[in-house]
Amino acid sequence: MRTDDLIAALAADTKPQAPVAIRMAFPLMGAVGLSGISFALFWGSRPDVWAALGSMAVLKTLVPLVLVALAAAFALALAHPGRAGKGRASALGAVIALAALAFLWALGREGLAGLQGALSTPSLMTCLMSIPALATPLLGVALWGLSSGASLRPWLTGAMAGLAAGALAAAIYSIYCDKDMALFVLPAYGVAIGSVTLAGSLIGMHVLKW
Amino acid sequence: MRAANRGDAVAYRRLLTAITPVLRKVVRARGAALGPESCEDVLQDVLLAIHSKRHTWNEDAPLRPWLYAIARHKVIDAFRVRGRRVELSIDEFAEGLAAEAGSDPTEGRDMEKVLNQLEPRAAEIVRGFGLHGETTAETAARLDMSEGAVRVALHRALKSIVKLRERMIE
Repeated sequence: MRTDDLIAALAADTKPQAPVAIRMAFPLMGAVGLSGISFALFWGSRPDVWAALGSMAVLKTLVPLVLVALAAAFALALAHPGRAGKGRASALGAVIALAALAFLWALGREGLAGLQGALSTPSLMTCLMSIPALATPLLGVALWGLSSGASLRPWLTGAMAGLAAGALAAAIYSIYCDKDMALFVLPAYGVAIGSVTLAGSLIGMHVLKW
Repeated sequence: MRAANRGDAVAYRRLLTAITPVLRKVVRARGAALGPESCEDVLQDVLLAIHSKRHTWNEDAPLRPWLYAIARHKVIDAFRVRGRRVELSIDEFAEGLAAEAGSDPTEGRDMEKVLNQLEPRAAEIVRGFGLHGETTAETAARLDMSEGAVRVALHRALKSIVKLRERMIE
């Protein structure tokens, strides 16, 4: 086929294409609904949820939600060549660095023994299993939606999709989780969200190629 | 491009025709060793990518950086794969070059392979626009379809072409 003939065929195809964000909106709401309903069915909220949300423990929900907003915006920017994502990337880096600092500060105060004490609870396994489980439908829909974009770095876009999905799952899970010590929450949530991020990056390398 | 995204076929065709010589120069400069035909295949890949990703351009942003990013991504990808493929069949490639010296330099080969994998009617529609210089209405009349059906069939055919080409590259 000659290139001019191809151009003629391309130009005749005038059906509009939906923007990535719009294409994703409804399926993503469905996935959030699915995670929310399974959470209500299999996990349920902690008995003192309102008291917890009125205390420092609200950070367990709020910080992941901030991560969701930043990572989702960055992932969307990455799927659109030429769109600037630098500001979101540095804000994201700052939030993660702050969380790491908070962890080091808590570790410095209570020492390794404190960390061991905080983590030797069956809640650790529950947390590490639950967050990825709740994140799965979110990550699936996010990657599907982003694959209609044009990612120049599929692994990074996939990682951001994983970070957003994992953080949202963590925010949901925090309603159930009744462990509020910094030395439990920061490493456990961090590893759980990190594993979803890694999964997003590995899957993204394949499904976000074009 | 803005007009094209709103469905103005004439403006879109003008845009594609205008950028093609520039893209061809870029592709040939990078891939001189591959021969003009493979370069044309890469160029057609780039055009297909521009078409299938056109909704990722933000209308308020300048078009050039977007176009450049898409083209660069596709060109790098295409040469990475073709470089590997050429190494495997270097004898055949040299013979092919000599035999096809007289053919049209803007003719791509990969596209024919892909079109042959489509349903005959879909391939016929894709070919119709360039070969016969038809409009959607004329294709519809010739194939005894409604105009809307031709539009949908063309849209689907181009989507499957993009998918098949991606599979060829992998």
